[in-house]
Amino acid sequence: MDNMVVAMMLGASLFLGSIALIAFLWAVKSGQFDDEEKFLNAVKFDNEDDLNDAIKQEKKREDLKKKNYKPE
Amino acid sequence: MTLSNKIPCSHCHLEFTQDVMIKDEDHYFCCNGCQGVFHLLSDEGLDSFYEKSHGVTLTPPTQQYEDSLNFNAPAFYDKFVKINDEGFSEVSLIIEGIHCSACVWLNEKALHKMDGVIEASINFTNNKAHIIWVDEVLKLSQIIDMIRAIGYNAYPYDASLQEAHANKVRKDYYLRMAVAIFSSMNVMWIAVAQYAGYFSGITQEMKTILNIAEGVLATPVLFYSGWVFFRGAYFGIKNKVVNMDLLVATGALLTYIYSIYITLLEHGEAYFDSVSMIITFVLIGKFLEVLSKKNAADTLDIIGKHLPSEVNIVRDEKIVPCKLEEVSIGATVVVSSGEKVLLDGYIVKGEGSFDESNLTGESEPIYKVVGDSVTSGTTSIDADIHFKTTKDFEHSTLSNLVTLLESAINKKPKIEQLANRLSEHFSTTILVLSFLTFISWWLWPHSFETSLMVGISVIVIACPCALGLATPVATLVGLNLGAKRGILFKEAAQLEIMAKADVLLVDKTGTLTVGKPEVFKETIIKEFDYKLLYSLVKSSKHPISKGIQKYLLENREFSEEIIFDLLTQVPARGIKASYKDFEVLGGNLKYMQENQVGVDYVSNKTMFYFAVDGELVCVYEMHDKIKNGAIELVESLKNRAIETIMLTGDNEKSAMSVADEIGIEKIYFELTPEEKLEYVNKLHTQNKVVVMVGDGINDILALAKADIGIVMGSGSDIAVDVSDVVLLNDSLESLLGAFKISKTTFSLIKQNFAISLVYNAITIPLAMAGLVIPLVAALSMSFSSLLVVGNSMRIRYKWNRS
Repeated sequence: MDNMVVAMMLGASLFLGSIALIAFLWAVKSGQFDDEEKFLNAVKFDNEDDLNDAIKQEKKREDLKKKNYKPE
Repeated sequence: MTLSNKIPCSHCHLEFTQDVMIKDEDHYFCCNGCQGVFHLLSDEGLDSFYEKSHGVTLTPPTQQYEDSLNFNAPAFYDKFVKINDEGFSEVSLIIEGIHCSACVWLNEKALHKMDGVIEASINFTNNKAHIIWVDEVLKLSQIIDMIRAIGYNAYPYDASLQEAHANKVRKDYYLRMAVAIFSSMNVMWIAVAQYAGYFSGITQEMKTILNIAEGVLATPVLFYSGWVFFRGAYFGIKNKVVNMDLLVATGALLTYIYSIYITLLEHGEAYFDSVSMIITFVLIGKFLEVLSKKNAADTLDIIGKHLPSEVNIVRDEKIVPCKLEEVSIGATVVVSSGEKVLLDGYIVKGEGSFDESNLTGESEPIYKVVGDSVTSGTTSIDADIHFKTTKDFEHSTLSNLVTLLESAINKKPKIEQLANRLSEHFSTTILVLSFLTFISWWLWPHSFETSLMVGISVIVIACPCALGLATPVATLVGLNLGAKRGILFKEAAQLEIMAKADVLLVDKTGTLTVGKPEVFKETIIKEFDYKLLYSLVKSSKHPISKGIQKYLLENREFSEEIIFDLLTQVPARGIKASYKDFEVLGGNLKYMQENQVGVDYVSNKTMFYFAVDGELVCVYEMHDKIKNGAIELVESLKNRAIETIMLTGDNEKSAMSVADEIGIEKIYFELTPEEKLEYVNKLHTQNKVVVMVGDGINDILALAKADIGIVMGSGSDIAVDVSDVVLLNDSLESLLGAFKISKTTFSLIKQNFAISLVYNAITIPLAMAGLVIPLVAALSMSFSSLLVVGNSMRIRYKWNRS
């Protein structure tokens, strides 16, 4: 029984740890740490408006993509 | 299905079953592409490629390329193809698909065989090719077709592309290190439980649970983070080199397999912690190396970075900006004072002094009038001129220098580092020892399992951690020591190369001397008001006036300056001014004679005479002052058996006077930039390791070609870019400091190697005797790494105190 507890705890903590690791890897991969200035300053641009802008930007990009795919 | 009916393609060596392959006499091919390449190579007599490549797996040339004719478009030619001064075309390409040195050989051979190709040199590390050909015989498209025909692809080279690649590599390492560090840290926690259990007792069941957890963590470390070692080992074997990567990869892989075996057997000790530790430590070492490697490609962007892309030209009697590349021959270009001349030509309007020290090393400004030629790369001091171009930008002196520079950078000799040489021997020895241990234990007789474990323990205990960390840590300390003293080494490997230097080449102007004339001797014939002289020299931008101005400010006291009623500057002569009823006159001997001022004070140095009301009152002897520490530098280098040679573009007289004062025995004067480069080449043929110090554009070719190019921080931007070491404070003390630091670092590297070798000499016999328990292995591994790091820190502490 004791063994099971240890095994479960190990499993659970490794799982949680790996989620954090994967999040970190994703962040590095998607270039969030590429520009350290930007990264450090990000906190300054982290309000509602900026989030909205970011979403709009994303939408615009999607739209453009779709337009490109349309045969003319 | 059996493996035996799979056969390799004769060209690409990918394996397929026989029935899907194309049979061609004795050969089998996986596709038409491979068959085509194979026949082409045999027809061209290049089939020894297959011997040289030792069955390397190649990419099959199946890719369809777009028409190569667009490489012949004028726009493409304009952008990437250059005509050198012999009239040949040159292009830089990146060749895709190069796997090994045999590929480099094949490409060079195939290109050389083409009519019209004059030279093709390919760099294995960055896959960059430099090709020179005759455009009348052969078009670029044919060259690219050839490269494609033999199974590679080529595309023109762009500096920003290289940078993107470097960033990708770095990011890749970040990811691998993140995984390795995360897993290793967790493995260590679990290992604490293991070791506790080892001493205080633990049930086998619990041990297995811990082993499984460790195994889960060690797997990504070995196969993801450790992938670089497998790859390195693979390329090493292919080139018949036993490298450090092979040792790390074998050690870690064998330990890993063994640990899995133990875990499944539920008996004995697993070594998953060692697996992740080895990989993590050595990966960090490798990352430090990658980080401190200079991106050689950066320098190729020089022209765009440091030169304005536009010049002002006169068109329809209006001054309009025009792109540098679009200025045609015969156009009139406007240059105002302080601006750089970017094209070659002759002056049609205006006159003034030019600073040519960048190009010729001549320390005195040159005065130019209508009809005189101006050279690109020089700077106008006070001249506002119009000049007619005689060459377009592609063929200008400046552009030629850049072309020469690129080839100098590419052809820089490579000096092998101690670590690479040592690790080869080390790795071979350990692998052989471990194999022998295994065999002898097995024959002794022991069980297969025990013998394997002892064999593996030899590899694990000979942990390459210390060896892998020896160079990166030492060089980091060296780089850091330098940075604190204003000595910037751009690449870690340069510390080691510099420690092996045989010859120091120095430039005169700006390097040994300050580069600006200073007052050397003041002779006052009659007392006068200093404010008169100060106000007079302040009105001029000439270096001599500035020198006197500086001298007066530092050494004389005078009241506020005065405003002259009338002031005239006579170029290349002096200044004349009147104030109330005084008339003052300052300038050179000629000017005095022209104004009937009696002078009986002559010297071969540069002189400045000052006369009030037609009577000489004061004479200044000017010279370019030698920097502090020059004599000590030469003296101290002599003691280190490094020969100092002066190369200058300046004339014999000034070169000799500086050399005599400093104690340099060997000097070469009136050298052009190309001649300096020649001299470096000559020294290289004598197998000398050359360090070159300079500051200007006239030195850049030699700086780029020398094993180590050192540049003064105040030097031109381009020189700073091509150099390997930058001395931020311009002082010769820091030059000597750079030599000292490199020597110290190199001895540190050697010490670190000695430590890890001594450590191995003690522990390996123990391991071979089978006396190493897991705890000892883990402890000694960390201990050896700590020793190496600690030793490196010790030097830093010592230096920081002194």
